[in-house]
Amino acid sequence: MRTRIIAKLDVKPPYVVKPVHFEGLRKIDFPFKLAQKYYEQGADEVMYIDIVASLYQREILFDEVEKTAHTLFIPFGVGGGIKTIEDMSKLFHIGADKVLLNTYAVQENPSIIDKAAEIFGSQAVVVNIEAKKWDNYWECYTDCGRIQSKKNVLEWVKEVEERGAGEILLQSVDCDGRQRGFDIELSKQVVEAVNIPVVVASGAGKLEDIKELIINAKPSGIAIASLLHYNRYTIRDIKEYLSKNGIEVSQ
Amino acid sequence: MSNLIGIVNYGIAGNIHSIKKAIEKAGGIAKVINNKKEFSEVSKIVIPGVGSFKDAMQELENDDLLNTLKEEIKHKPTLGICLGMQILSTLGFEYGQSQGLDAIKAEVKPIIVDAKVPHMGFNTLEVISQNVLLRGIENEEFYFMHSFEVVNYTNIISLTDYAGHKFVSSIQKSNIYGVQFHPEKSREAGIKLFKNFVEL
Repeated sequence: MRTRIIAKLDVKPPYVVKPVHFEGLRKIDFPFKLAQKYYEQGADEVMYIDIVASLYQREILFDEVEKTAHTLFIPFGVGGGIKTIEDMSKLFHIGADKVLLNTYAVQENPSIIDKAAEIFGSQAVVVNIEAKKWDNYWECYTDCGRIQSKKNVLEWVKEVEERGAGEILLQSVDCDGRQRGFDIELSKQVVEAVNIPVVVASGAGKLEDIKELIINAKPSGIAIASLLHYNRYTIRDIKEYLSKNGIEVSQ
Repeated sequence: MSNLIGIVNYGIAGNIHSIKKAIEKAGGIAKVINNKKEFSEVSKIVIPGVGSFKDAMQELENDDLLNTLKEEIKHKPTLGICLGMQILSTLGFEYGQSQGLDAIKAEVKPIIVDAKVPHMGFNTLEVISQNVLLRGIENEEFYFMHSFEVVNYTNIISLTDYAGHKFVSSIQKSNIYGVQFHPEKSREAGIKLFKNFVEL
């Protein structure tokens, strides 16, 4: 199976920003511009996460999402502050193909996952995980890596699969934005714990990091942010490098 | 008759916006069909679909589209996409057994494979029978996202290999076409498929 290379946009409207450890935001550009750029570079998908919606306790901003979806002819996942079936329905109608759930499902109402999967199909429901490493386990964090949940990541991923989630986006609070490599052990354990696809984010600092992760943890996809935002590499560069190293990717 | 393509709008879910955009990029004109009367305005039909087989059939019935749709697809060129292809079948087994549109003799069953399900991502086609729908794009990659597959032996255009398991990725029976992948999410190759459908 071709490993998917996904461009991840962390959005603090109206800008895509790049948090370090989910803090210290740097403005990059408008989401619709970056989405278009990465689409043209050959991204397999785009994920758009409004990283402050939950924190500010407001709805996701639909206009920004619609504008970003408009020029994409690849799957588009959207998350941040989603709490209701109505929000999701609206997102699908304006061009989202998948919704990403985190804070509300983890902290308040896990059954929103069951409901969403039943109505929209599992393939459209992604659970976003922000994992924080402790001595001998990982804990789910929410609200952009700020709030604890007391939930064990490895137990939670099994629960969300059981509830009907079709995919997991695995982010690491410890590695995010540092560009010092992925948490391979975490990725490996999550991939092995579930039968649904796992997309791993947080930590790519060089091309070797991506190769290492794919070889050791075998995720279904990789979500890249900093490497692309700072124009260190294009999606095309990443795919060519992986191809040369015997890793199957889409053209 | 006009060359208008009608996209059937049913249920709460739907990637209708993406499909309309892709048809327009391919040079076609599309209209969203919200009630049975609007079928008379269109010369071709696209059945989208996101969600479960059972819900989709239920929604078509609730929205009073089911009987008209069954009649319309007997003679108008029709393209079913993903779940829209699956419901062209006789029977589905998602959330219990339910009747499909029965335009193609087939059943829809869970993918059984030693790999992650849903099957999600770009994959290629193995063309079994040359077809105008895939003209010029036989060697391209298309985006799949599904947990169920159409089981059929007689109307196959292409198969796709997922972790050693081959499933039906496109079908045709006279005026009716179905694709398991999402052409509206498959870059330029998908636009080309819509162009082929527009030019039918």
